[in-house]
Amino acid sequence: MADYKQMWTDLGMDLEKHDLLCEVLPEAFGGVYLSQQNRPQGMGFYDFVVSEIHGVRPAEMLEHQKQGGKVFGTFCVYVPDEVVFAAGGIAAGLCGGSQFWVSGGEKVLPANTCPLIKASVGARLDKTCPFFLIPDMYVGETTCDGKKKAWEILAGEVPFHIIDVPQMKRDKDVAAFEAEIMDFIAMVEKVTGNKITAERLGESIKLINNKRKGLQRLYNARKASPVPISGKDALLVTQIAFYDDPARCAQMANQLAEELEERVARQEGVFPANALRIMVSGTPMAIPNWKLHHIIETAGAAVVVEESCTGTRYFENLVDESATTVEGQVRALAERYMKTNCACFTPNPGRVEDIVRLADEYKVDGIIDTNLQFCNLYSTESFLVKQALADKGLPVMHIETDYSEQDYEQLRTRIEAFLEMLRK
Amino acid sequence: MESHEYDWYILFPNHHQGLRLNRELKEQGIKNTIAPTPREASTSCGMSLIVGEADLESIMAVIEAKSIIIEKIVKIARKEWQYRSC
Ligand code: SF4
Ligand code: SF4
Repeated sequence: MADYKQMWTDLGMDLEKHDLLCEVLPEAFGGVYLSQQNRPQGMGFYDFVVSEIHGVRPAEMLEHQKQGGKVFGTFCVYVPDEVVFAAGGIAAGLCGGSQFWVSGGEKVLPANTCPLIKASVGARLDKTCPFFLIPDMYVGETTCDGKKKAWEILAGEVPFHIIDVPQMKRDKDVAAFEAEIMDFIAMVEKVTGNKITAERLGESIKLINNKRKGLQRLYNARKASPVPISGKDALLVTQIAFYDDPARCAQMANQLAEELEERVARQEGVFPANALRIMVSGTPMAIPNWKLHHIIETAGAAVVVEESCTGTRYFENLVDESATTVEGQVRALAERYMKTNCACFTPNPGRVEDIVRLADEYKVDGIIDTNLQFCNLYSTESFLVKQALADKGLPVMHIETDYSEQDYEQLRTRIEAFLEMLRK
Repeated sequence: MESHEYDWYILFPNHHQGLRLNRELKEQGIKNTIAPTPREASTSCGMSLIVGEADLESIMAVIEAKSIIIEKIVKIARKEWQYRSC
């Protein structure tokens, strides 16, 4: 069997604790993923990534470091990966989605912190995840309060850079974000020792745009009825996109999309054509958080789109590729990133508009608006989401949940009742 | 898939061998699924292949013909599954 023990020991991992996770993952993944029928062949790659989750990609990153390259860990879709790759670095999304890491975070964070933050801090402090131990630097942002304060704890562990993400979207805020990207460039240049020229940044913008286009193409196939891929499988693709090599990510997403397009042409689906089509909107679902999708899909409805950072917010909107100077490219980056509609902005009408638009594009029967427990931003915004969707006559239910299995049966009952109502 | 109470897992010394067999079997149209190795099969984690019992003989022939190195083939009883966070 693959033996990564030496690599994990060298990283200073807590092998005993880590082993507990290794024990649970195969069964959980088997029951949630491998039990599905008629999965696209292209999912084999993603099953492989999960099977070797703490082995293959971490080994690639360590090899990159051995060659003198740097690795940057990030926690938000507002951090422009383009800058890191332009300097020959690797950016890896680190958001923690494992219940296994939550208790480690709880040792230092208030109980009323969202599980994503608890898991992210816990993964580092407990030394149970190679991805959290490899980066030369973490890059945080000023989005929600919980994260902002967590950065100060993590900064005691690893060099930290914080990008000041504006709270509003006026022209002067876009300009401020532009200046932040300039500072980020200077910092990444310093850490990597590589100059970010217009040529390199231009290539990197194309690289990340290609990854977005691959994911867009894949999601596009989900607009078909019957839907050619399950929501669980599509979610896994997006989750893995956060830390995979961007060129390989684009290649694999395009390959899978091609297979899905063939299915669509044959009218082949993984759910019957009359199955309910559900949108999940709200907070991100970092790997291995598959709880809600699993409940919805085992109740017979298909998740056809995610309005979330592990969904459309990750890849909608491309960066304009026409600029030829670093200043122009940074302006284009700022404009693209500031189009993302996260609940940390006020006011944030764009997100509600996105949900209404996606409901139409993906022909959904209902929306499950969800947020992680103690996420004040998305929880508050759910009021406005509900209001807007009611105006459009779109059925919506709100769910607040965490990573644990404790509310599993209760959620299942509520979701089944919602689906029953939609079927009437 | 036919319903039986066992799953057959092929384990490998490393993922290169596993991916090789995966590719060969795919080419020959023999069903196989990449899966994380269950704890009952081995204490080290990593990929293995789930295959059908009826295909075992032809799979062994492929392994031999292509000199693919496997670690072992394990038969694991299916358990009742319950959702569990990981
Ligand atoms: S939900 Fe907001 S804060 Fe969280 S990753 Fe997305 S953009 Fe960043
Ligand atoms: S889910 Fe909410 S509370 Fe948690 S990190 Fe994201 S914005 Fe912050």
